[in-house]
Amino acid sequence: MLLFLGLIVGLAVFNRRRSFLALRAIPAFVKLRRAIGLAVEDGSRLHLSLGSGGVLDQRSAAAFVGLSMLRRVADITSVSDQPPIATTGEATLAILAQDTLQSAFEKMGASAQYDPTSARLTGVTPFSYAAGTLPVIADEMVSSNLLAGSFVNEAALITDASERGQNFSLAGTDDLTGQAILYASAQEPLIGEELFAGGAYLEAGALHNASLHAQDILRYLVILTILGGAVLRFLGIL
Amino acid sequence: MMRLPILSRALSIVSAAIAISTGIVVTLGFFVNFAELANLRLIFLEWAVLLAAIALLVGLVNLLRVHLNKVRDGGATAFYSFVLVVGMIATFGLGMFFGPDHPIPLWIFNNIQIPVETALMAILAVSLAYASARLLHRRATVFAVVFLVTTLFVLLGTGSYPWGEITLLVELKSWISRVPATAGARGILLGVALGTIATGLRVLMGVDRPYGG
Repeated sequence: MLLFLGLIVGLAVFNRRRSFLALRAIPAFVKLRRAIGLAVEDGSRLHLSLGSGGVLDQRSAAAFVGLSMLRRVADITSVSDQPPIATTGEATLAILAQDTLQSAFEKMGASAQYDPTSARLTGVTPFSYAAGTLPVIADEMVSSNLLAGSFVNEAALITDASERGQNFSLAGTDDLTGQAILYASAQEPLIGEELFAGGAYLEAGALHNASLHAQDILRYLVILTILGGAVLRFLGIL
Repeated sequence: MMRLPILSRALSIVSAAIAISTGIVVTLGFFVNFAELANLRLIFLEWAVLLAAIALLVGLVNLLRVHLNKVRDGGATAFYSFVLVVGMIATFGLGMFFGPDHPIPLWIFNNIQIPVETALMAILAVSLAYASARLLHRRATVFAVVFLVTTLFVLLGTGSYPWGEITLLVELKSWISRVPATAGARGILLGVALGTIATGLRVLMGVDRPYGG
């Protein structure tokens, strides 16, 4: 953790001095930016599904990434007549989503536009959450669905509703089964750690970029360690 | 409720300070063998669980408010919202009056909630079959072909046939599960673990502030 922290701080300083550490292209995020732009232009809404992962369990990281993406989407779409709408399957997350949207509107000086029901709990079990989310996609002028959080099987119901509404869908989860399901059902699935890169690709700040580069460096270190271990084992040294 | 900018700013700073210091204490409680720190971590976690329970009530009030608005506005889905409001109030009232372990709330759970969720699971099977069929239309890539072919082999290897199982398919399915699927899953899990640590560190550093601000 200390190594990770050191890398993030070091890379943030390095990036500030010489900004040439570019992010690798993830087409899903390019399409998301385009979808956000189109939603602002045609006055439709963006829907962020934050999943059923609680902030008190091991799935909290995915939920936090969803909240950071919600914040960025709210910032970007602040000029739109239709603010984004967020749905969650976990009560604490719903309150945090409301707070995130309220803060974004306050920062933009548009507090009057904030509606507490634009971030809502739609169900407290994964399937009731998905069932409660379907009418939001169908009835609230949604043109793009962004699923960022902890999902398993229920995600397919949400992406199916998105498909039927001919909406754009980008989806990422921290769950392996959920990722397989989203690969088949979402227009733009995020695989592995791509979900955690959401903030950096939505330009949430220099430290987001630095943490993504630190993540990449550590991933290569882990790969080298695994390969090194395999070679040593093959040679009979380990 | 509209907050004054200066109050909002002060709240943001205080929230960040509380969140960062609590996060550091809880994280250190895992790594440092110091009794007081471990106790403090447990106290914080107990508070968090209590707050999460209260948050559930707040969330339910929010859900009720959304659907009451829909009932008041009328429209095509007002009836469904009405059913939800009545169901929610009745279930909550019965649960509070009789207690959650009483046969009546349990009957509601076993005979309404579970069958509805099972039905959704069945719909999911159809949705996934349809999504898989459309996958090549949506993304005609090598990976999509590999995904579909693998799914097909695993399904064929799992299925039961009137003449018994096909040994080759069962062995192929077993090999897919043991070798490429496990290797891929481990790779993905390593990436997710690194992403989780990075997110946690960003929250501890106050870069990500999911509590607003």
